[in-house]
Amino acid sequence: MLKPIFWEQVMKKILFVGTAITVFILFFIIFYILKNGLAVVDMEFLLSSPKDFGRAGGIFPCIVGTIVLSLVAIIIATPLGVGTSIYLSEYTRESKLTSIIRFGTDCLAGIPSIIFGLFGFVLFVVYLGLGWSILSGGLTIAFMILPTIIRTSEEAIKSVPDYYREVSLSLGGTKWQTIVKVVLPSALPGIVTGIILGVARSIEETAIVIFTAGSVLRIPTSLFDSCRTMSVHFYILAREGISMENAYGTATILIITILLINAFAYWLMHRLMAKYS
Amino acid sequence: MEYKIELVNLSVYYGDFHALRNINMQIGAKTITALIGPSGCGKSTMLRTINRINELIDGTRIEGKILIDQKDIYHPKTDILQLRKKAGMVFQRPNCFPLSVYDNITYGPRVHGIKKKAELDEIVEKSLRATWLWDELKEKMKKSALSLSLEYQQRLCIARVLALGSEIILLDEPCSALDPITTLRIEELLVELKKDYTIIIVTHNMQQAARVSNYSGYMLMGELVEVNETSKIFTSPQDKRTEDYITGRFG
Repeated sequence: MLKPIFWEQVMKKILFVGTAITVFILFFIIFYILKNGLAVVDMEFLLSSPKDFGRAGGIFPCIVGTIVLSLVAIIIATPLGVGTSIYLSEYTRESKLTSIIRFGTDCLAGIPSIIFGLFGFVLFVVYLGLGWSILSGGLTIAFMILPTIIRTSEEAIKSVPDYYREVSLSLGGTKWQTIVKVVLPSALPGIVTGIILGVARSIEETAIVIFTAGSVLRIPTSLFDSCRTMSVHFYILAREGISMENAYGTATILIITILLINAFAYWLMHRLMAKYS
Repeated sequence: MEYKIELVNLSVYYGDFHALRNINMQIGAKTITALIGPSGCGKSTMLRTINRINELIDGTRIEGKILIDQKDIYHPKTDILQLRKKAGMVFQRPNCFPLSVYDNITYGPRVHGIKKKAELDEIVEKSLRATWLWDELKEKMKKSALSLSLEYQQRLCIARVLALGSEIILLDEPCSALDPITTLRIEELLVELKKDYTIIIVTHNMQQAARVSNYSGYMLMGELVEVNETSKIFTSPQDKRTEDYITGRFG
């Protein structure tokens, strides 16, 4: 029979190899994209419009499209998501209903984005007549990222110690004052993390954008314009064999954007958490 | 004599559990009353019922009356926020918010609608002076309250209640997280505060009850066994059960 200490050693090695593979894959992907993409990236690439369907020129409209679309999605999803999580954790008691709502949001989080895309297409683009537009796309993406924001905010709100609420109420504060002045500030780092995860997901989203915001290669001038995001641009360039170089270039900017957002999220979270402790 | 607080046939239930049994008690203004008794006897429940913070617990039910200044605080028309302002609570563990010293003290006045900086400044100074914190903290208004020592935090919690403009201070074992020396300083503070406030203190520590209070009530299994002047409770208790407890034969 093998001794426990033997298994200790073996498991430690297996776990290390697993971790190493994960990190390797991550770095390999980033390295591969950057290696192929950095060559075409320069200020010209960032700030000029594509020519000849993207064979030449830059990706400026796609950058604008990505930013505007994510912004619309997050502006819609944040109040809805944070509001829902406040309602669930502060205004309801644990019951069948709340566990059904929670189960529902978890299921929603697992639905493939292309199905959200189809739903958004049917509802916003066709039925409500919004057409392929930033508004249709933003609304649909907002639905997709809602579960993420709800669950992370709810966890954050739940981790606020109960005695904060008790003290605030015992001093004659109302429930709402307690939420605004005590609960939300303490839960802020967690809530911000959820929102930023949502931003990252909306930036990388492709299927929904194709279904609901279209892929017009122009700088959008209103919420009812169609737009093309970097992910969609990359998909079309690669899929239709237009230009692999520019596809990699686009992917590079996309990855750098996501990295920057994550770095910003970490920075912001540490700042918020360090504020009073 | 008019009493500040009167409990009339007060019973409290948590679901089926009968936590307080038919309590009758009168508390005069500007006195310190200590509630003593073994764990689970209902001392804290009684305190929390006066601030109505107990209602946050599911399934709490109350019978009888509590009168403060002759008004029934469980009357449906009672303004619960004003009641909590009038009878402020200090809890077992120092529970400052993760905010600055200044924001902790002004929390109460702010939720009650005071916004002017000058007015808030005045309240802060007054309550810090009353809790003997002013000299230590006047330069540290912006520091996080959580960076203070436990004793200071607990005094800050008392200051936070004073800042409300409370008339009654309810303290739920306020010294159980503190060492004996800081406990003594809190006790001195309470005796000083008695000049202006009506104080009820729940304590496990009988010496503490003997040192600070004018009146003491001994509670056992939800009943108020005996209440009297503290000196009498500790020297000539009328009830056998009280005598057993204070002489250490029980509890």
